[in-house]
Amino acid sequence: MDEIQDKLQNIFRDVFDDPSIILYDDMSAKDIEEWDSLNHIQLIVAVENEFNIEFETAEISELKNVGEFITIIHNKLKN
Amino acid sequence: MADINEQITYFENLFCGSQLSSMQASGLLLTARKFSKIEEKYKEKNSTKLIYKKIAVLASYTTHHLIGVMKLFLYKEGISPLFYEGEYDGIAMGLLDPQSEIFNFQPEILLLLTDQKDLKEFPPLFSDQKSIDKWINSKIQFYLNLWSQASTISGCQVFQTSFITPIYRPLGNMEANFLFSPTNCLKLLNLELIRKKAPNVTFIDMDYLSSYFGKRRWFDDKHYYLSKQGFSFDAYGLVCTAFSKILSNNAGIVIKCLVLDLDNTLWGGVIGDDGLDGINLNSSHAVGEAFLTFQKYLKKLKERGVILAVCSKNDESVAKTPFENHPEMILSLNDIACFLANWENKATNIQKIANSLNIGIDSLVFFDDNPFERDIVRKYLPQVRVIDVPEDPALYIHALDSAMCFEWNQLTDEDLLRSDTYLTDRKRDELSTKTVDYDSYLQALQMKAVIGNPTSLDISRFTQLINKSNQFNLRTKRYSEATISQMITDAGKYSLIGISLEDKFGKYGIISCIILAHCDDAAFIDTWVMSCRVLKRGVEQAAFNAICEYARAWDCKWIVGEYLLTKKNHMVADLLPDLGFEKAPNNWFDSTHDQGILYRLELISANRKEHHITTEKY
Repeated sequence: MDEIQDKLQNIFRDVFDDPSIILYDDMSAKDIEEWDSLNHIQLIVAVENEFNIEFETAEISELKNVGEFITIIHNKLKN
Repeated sequence: MADINEQITYFENLFCGSQLSSMQASGLLLTARKFSKIEEKYKEKNSTKLIYKKIAVLASYTTHHLIGVMKLFLYKEGISPLFYEGEYDGIAMGLLDPQSEIFNFQPEILLLLTDQKDLKEFPPLFSDQKSIDKWINSKIQFYLNLWSQASTISGCQVFQTSFITPIYRPLGNMEANFLFSPTNCLKLLNLELIRKKAPNVTFIDMDYLSSYFGKRRWFDDKHYYLSKQGFSFDAYGLVCTAFSKILSNNAGIVIKCLVLDLDNTLWGGVIGDDGLDGINLNSSHAVGEAFLTFQKYLKKLKERGVILAVCSKNDESVAKTPFENHPEMILSLNDIACFLANWENKATNIQKIANSLNIGIDSLVFFDDNPFERDIVRKYLPQVRVIDVPEDPALYIHALDSAMCFEWNQLTDEDLLRSDTYLTDRKRDELSTKTVDYDSYLQALQMKAVIGNPTSLDISRFTQLINKSNQFNLRTKRYSEATISQMITDAGKYSLIGISLEDKFGKYGIISCIILAHCDDAAFIDTWVMSCRVLKRGVEQAAFNAICEYARAWDCKWIVGEYLLTKKNHMVADLLPDLGFEKAPNNWFDSTHDQGILYRLELISANRKEHHITTEKY
């Protein structure tokens, strides 16, 4: 899980162009100013590419916070 | 990231190299976002190199990310775009509402991204020919209406994507067997749109691009449902490459000439070592056939007006033997406009080729199997496009075709004549060595010119010449076909003069265009361009006489001209003073034309210039 969090943190830093971002489970769109619907798509594409996974439509549209993000990635990598 | 200058340098390098085209979707999106943050600074630093274009994008799917990535590819072509992004589902709203912001924005390019979802419904099952035609007609009317709205925006060219035939087929293979199927209706609609194409419209073949990419991967239902993306992010690289090449032609960037190596490029083996019998052009041998097929492709390029040149490290006579004596060769020496075979370095030779063909070094593409030679050319002539030639000759056509170098928006008779013109130029050169002085050479050429207003058939060529002339070009103003058509109908304000030329060796077609604007008691030379191939033959003088005649017909007192310096038009710096113009006093001419050097000539003192061209009017 830690490894996933590290990689995800790097993606967040890259996408939002902010090297100071530290991820925590409850972190959501309201905590990062630039995390809007447009950049959300970009985040998804970057994560899919980095972990070589594919999210389902519902997973993307219902994603609430970083904790869920990590759990979904974790479950996909496990399978 | 680090400091701003480092970032700018990063993007300068990115736009010079070829990494952009090989980036994956996530990389492109990320790079686009990074660039958007420093775009203004990048523009400031590179302002002299950039061509500015206002581009409006209307689509019924979201285009935010697409526009971000497209920006990168446009900057790579040297274009700095200012985008207007329509509302979601905004094709009709964007153009049919007279209050739309788009009319204030005044785009030079209007990108209409169509989607079959725009069509709402298809003809019902078992529709007969008549009701299918009716359906097509109603759709066509919608687009004709859009184009006509767009034509009210001065100088605006519409680029509209073709409809993509779907991959989901409720009728299965029966779609192919009934005219009323959605697949066939979309094909018919695409064809009918081409038949009804207005001069201010250029189509972009999105159906081709999606097939090339693979439609299974092109359509991305998930991202359509999530955020109304028109197609997969993975296709952005391809789409933006194509768009940027096609749109850059509208900005006057035209690649005209393909410079080819010989050994292991046109044939297998080395002619100097293997000899005529040893090189591989054997049609019954796999590798030989690959080279032959590549030559056939090159011949097709030549026939559509691409100039072919040869740049080879060889003794000239040896290099020419396959062209002269090999029975399987497809290309002949007559297909090659400039043949340079010697032992000098290729950068020097390519510069010579550009000089001898009288075209800019940035309108050349270099194709050579040797990576060492490619690196030399990249290093010393960064303006030349260099194809990444693969090892396997079977992949040569793909490498060249997918580089999309020769994306011209028009194809004119002059393009098709051009390659041959360079050959007849050689005969002219021979004539010039036989005649005693330049005057008798010009007489011996027996030149005939036709001078007059362009007809509707000439508009394409007229526009093309204006947009691709860089050297003999007084003001380097670029106009779309739409603007030229508008000017033709406004005869009180504008006179457009085209000059076509032929001589005893052949026809050139239209080689000079002039736009005169009527401003009170002056005829202002808004545009004066000429093909460099006919430099110093007397066309300048004939053109000058024509300008005087048109100005007199308007009862003007003055002819006013302006020289706007660019990096490429030094050639015409003294054109106007040489023709007897004087510098106009400051603030004399009441207009906005004051960034360059302004000249004037009083018509009363304008003398007819002598030349050796027989002119006729049409």
